[in-house]
Amino acid sequence: MLPEFTLSRPADIDEVLRELNADVVPYAGGTELLLAMKMGLLVPSGLVDLKRIPALREISASESAIVIGAGATHDEVARHELIQAHAPLLVQVEQNVGNARVRSQGTIGGNLCFAEPRSDLLALLAAFDATVLLRSVRGDRTLAMAEFVLGPYWTDRAEDELLVSVAIPRPCPTGAYVKLQVTERPTVGVAAVRTAAGRCRVVVGSVTEVPLVVAGASWDDIDADGIVAQVEPVSDIAGSAEYKKHITGVYVRRAVALARDGAV
Amino acid sequence: MSSATGSAAGSTSEIATTVNGAAYRGSVANRTTLAAYLRDELGLKGTKVSCELQVCGVCSVLVDGRPVSSCTYLAADIDGRTVETVEGLATGERMHELQRAFVRNFALQCGFCTPGFLMMSKALLERNPDPTEDEIREYLDGNICRCTGYQPIIAAVLEAAAELRGVGVD
Amino acid sequence: MTEREHGVVGRSVQRRDLLEKVTGAAVYAVDVEPSGTLHAKVVRSSYAHAQLVRIDAEAALAMPGVVAVVTAEDIKDLFPRFGHIVADHYILATGKVRYYGEPVALVVAETLAAASDAAAQVEVHYSELPAVMSAADALAPSAPLVHDEAFVVSPDESFTAMAATPTADEVLERDNVAHEVTLGWGDVDAALASAHLVVSNEGMKFPMLYAYAMEPYNAVATYTDHQLDVISTAQHPFMVRTDLARIFDLPLSRVRVQVPYLGGGYGSKSYTKVEPLAAVGSWATGRPVKLVLDVEEAIYTTRADSAEVNVRTAFDADGTILARDIEMILDSGAYADNSPLVVAKAANRSFGPYRVPNLRVRGRSVYTNTSPASSYRGFGAPQGSFAGEINLDKAADLLGIDSAELRRRNLVGPGEEILPGKRGLDADLRADLELLVGSLRRDASNAQSSGIGYALTASDAGAFPVSTAHVRLQTDGSVVVLSGSTEMGQGSRSALAQIAAEELGVELIAVSVSQSDTATVAYERTTGASRTTTLTGLALQRACADARAKAADMAAEVFGWPVETIQPAPGGVLGPEEKFVGFGEVIMRWFGAAAGEITGVGLVRRDGATQKMPPFWECGIVGVEVSVEPDTGQVDVRQLVTVADVGFAINPHAVEGQDLGAATQGLGAALFEELVYEGPQLVNPNVVDYRVPRMRDVPAKIDTIIVERRDGIGPYGAKGAGEGALNPMTAAVAIAVGRATGKWPTRVPLTPERVWRLLNDLPDDS
Repeated sequence: MLPEFTLSRPADIDEVLRELNADVVPYAGGTELLLAMKMGLLVPSGLVDLKRIPALREISASESAIVIGAGATHDEVARHELIQAHAPLLVQVEQNVGNARVRSQGTIGGNLCFAEPRSDLLALLAAFDATVLLRSVRGDRTLAMAEFVLGPYWTDRAEDELLVSVAIPRPCPTGAYVKLQVTERPTVGVAAVRTAAGRCRVVVGSVTEVPLVVAGASWDDIDADGIVAQVEPVSDIAGSAEYKKHITGVYVRRAVALARDGAV
Repeated sequence: MSSATGSAAGSTSEIATTVNGAAYRGSVANRTTLAAYLRDELGLKGTKVSCELQVCGVCSVLVDGRPVSSCTYLAADIDGRTVETVEGLATGERMHELQRAFVRNFALQCGFCTPGFLMMSKALLERNPDPTEDEIREYLDGNICRCTGYQPIIAAVLEAAAELRGVGVD
Repeated sequence: MTEREHGVVGRSVQRRDLLEKVTGAAVYAVDVEPSGTLHAKVVRSSYAHAQLVRIDAEAALAMPGVVAVVTAEDIKDLFPRFGHIVADHYILATGKVRYYGEPVALVVAETLAAASDAAAQVEVHYSELPAVMSAADALAPSAPLVHDEAFVVSPDESFTAMAATPTADEVLERDNVAHEVTLGWGDVDAALASAHLVVSNEGMKFPMLYAYAMEPYNAVATYTDHQLDVISTAQHPFMVRTDLARIFDLPLSRVRVQVPYLGGGYGSKSYTKVEPLAAVGSWATGRPVKLVLDVEEAIYTTRADSAEVNVRTAFDADGTILARDIEMILDSGAYADNSPLVVAKAANRSFGPYRVPNLRVRGRSVYTNTSPASSYRGFGAPQGSFAGEINLDKAADLLGIDSAELRRRNLVGPGEEILPGKRGLDADLRADLELLVGSLRRDASNAQSSGIGYALTASDAGAFPVSTAHVRLQTDGSVVVLSGSTEMGQGSRSALAQIAAEELGVELIAVSVSQSDTATVAYERTTGASRTTTLTGLALQRACADARAKAADMAAEVFGWPVETIQPAPGGVLGPEEKFVGFGEVIMRWFGAAAGEITGVGLVRRDGATQKMPPFWECGIVGVEVSVEPDTGQVDVRQLVTVADVGFAINPHAVEGQDLGAATQGLGAALFEELVYEGPQLVNPNVVDYRVPRMRDVPAKIDTIIVERRDGIGPYGAKGAGEGALNPMTAAVAIAVGRATGKWPTRVPLTPERVWRLLNDLPDDS
């Protein structure tokens, strides 16, 4: 049962910014927030609905970046022609987030702000060197993913800030994303991409508190055993730390092998 | 101007919506889920609730044609939107192709998950009128059926898709 | 199976209930809400074991909309417990709590939101007690007692006739053993000592399971003027009625339990669950009270018994079984519920369907401070067969005999007794095994890291035979069937209609079936153990015969025909010179008006065809081919083959559906499903972390074979279906994984990590 709360539907971003505070929080797809409220983990006094602000759902491309409005749903991202043309790996990942309802309700911004560590997007966007744009009445901030995601369920977003958009630098890296997923969220997810500058980058997600980024000049520089030594997973219902370390190695090797072969 | 909804107390919202083609207008508590609104306010009890975590798919309905878990969707959010539930599938006495295919294929037993499967299948066929078996599995993987073992559901969706495309089945 | 001499049975007719269900019109208990209904929310224990010191409900009572907060103190003048075998189950925790999640208080309010908000404000003060969280802890010397008082097991034959049990008035020792059974014959020790080979599997662990019937337990109760009306999710409304009548000291006739469509049962809705809570809520407030649990609460209400099993089998050099020695310990949780019967059935089902000349089985159902265990589809059989069937494959390898051949040599043949003095086997398992293995081997991939596994079980099914049915012939020749068997998805409504249409020679469309309302339909003891087609079906056949006989008598009277000249005919009777008169005309002539009806009554008890227990053996004959990904341990099921040895399929598609559904639940237990306790509470009391099979898990090849040899005692030679394909599934998958990996599993579910540990000889004690 949800607790009581107020609900407002601002027409534009400026109105949102005037309303946000510690108790009044942004609300979009609700796929994370409403569950947390049902379980009593979060008890905000008010929700500010972002779904009716078209600007927050826009997906556009500039010379230097693909910019995705934070309010775009996973499904909208996956089906957008710009994303399909320029970031096919993101399409592939977005098509496999949650289930079909979560993809049609949940937003990319909500996913990032919740900073659930077992998130495909946290790892992939880190591999893409994406940045997020935060806005408040105090001004704008642009943060790299590593600066934004500070820990499990913990971001650098201030209570009065709104995540407005995510920017992926162009040209988007290509490569592969593979994951082991038995339940609703991945146990381990690994992105392996080659950047426009020719660098090879591997990002390990889900198994760690925050995505682990490793880069090298060539795929041969990616040391799977070294990555396994660096991750410090916790034992839980999804698997023991020992097993998670083991499959981290397996999936790093798989991702690299796929990326080496030139997957999307 | 903020189009703030609800009373000064702020715990309710005014909504105007269309459910299965009928217009409704009224006040709902913000904490009311769409599932509760459909079942308790509108008496549309065909939509069921089970896991309450968006995992089982039992409560699936369509909002503006897109599938949502009505157990984790605010009734207030259907303001200005169109909702379709299992009660709206049939046209008068004529059942939807999916409904008939489910019956023919024994694609349900207890039937509790069925409204959700039907609505998800409708969403699938609207975006992909000719899905492969793998595409059906992928799209419906987020719906749980504990009775059938799923194979008859896959068969029913394939059959309904063929009928809707006018291919017909023998 | 193309030649059929019947008109209606034996055909995959469209199930009429499915039409209601696809339109959303079908009514389930959760949809029922009488006007003026109050809503209840349960306050639950936050300790596994603790004294209840004080319950402070004042703040909750002061909240808007709250009508009452009911605690044990309020119902102490009622009989405050329930339980059909051992009445040990408190409606509301009394004195102490025995598991995390146990109901402590019931908040009743005008709305669900008000009840829910207020439940959070009820303050319960506890004094924690040491808890026993596993069967091993509970059996340790001087372990804390879950129950301080001993309860006597029901002496009713309907329980004792189904299993070896202690005598009724045996005073139970004050330990945590809820129930103990022993079973056996011959000299096991001598056979073990002199055998060519003894093969052991020790410490085989079967997990706690959750049936996940998708409609969680719910009930709405109305108590007025010494009358209690309950609409709930009960598989056995008549047994729930008995519990409720005892609680309120009401005549059975003043308790009415109705069950509309059930959103899944699978045994988990057997016996009394939330009905007493809703009923005391109504008793306390004088208004209808509705209680709907969420999934987490449902998991804490009933789970399936976990088990640890040791099995030793002695063999001759040619593979003949000389002896089996089996010990099983079931973790039954805080209350007995149906676990005494589960452990008894587990013992009966643990060693066969093989000839075992020397046998010793000891089974114990143990109280722990965990959620209470009770029935779940096939209960007892999966736990034992997991250990016993792996044991046979292990032996086959050691003996150098093909595993199918080893089974063939030891399988009990048709008519042969599995349990001395009980019904002989009413199936041909050797023939079934050939069909099974033939299908599996025909499509075997023989790929690396793949393996085939198959397993067999025979369950003493049908439960205790007490069934009744009524048929009411109408003036237009149509037929109303009344049965206390519950339609829970298995298709009984349709199957019973087929039987009535067949027996009376009327069109299927002219038959309606009403079920599960203790005030109006015919008595049925339970809807479980796959009994409905066989036992209710028999009762219905007899009811139809009774109706036909009455019609003949009435025709004789009104037409002046000698009764012995009257022959049965489809839809009526044939008089002299083959003169046909329809049932409707007989009725109207006899009553002298366009009115009236004929009621036929059919009764089944332990007599005649149903004298011998069990009423039938339900066999499980399943196999799979799996492939294992060596570096992750992920298991992919490539083939699933089931053989339904059902005697006669009233509705073949429905039988296939039951088998595929049961097999799929078995796949869940084999690969994913396990409730996990960490400290006092479950870490995964939800469907996110308790993973059940999904559409993507459906095997590429599914072969559901139906075998009809008309060897059952039910209508047309039918036997029950529905549990068989689940029972040996865990064993079959574990054997297949064993074949794929070269290592025999010791526990399920075979999650990727478990299989990886198995492959790498790493300890698995999580």
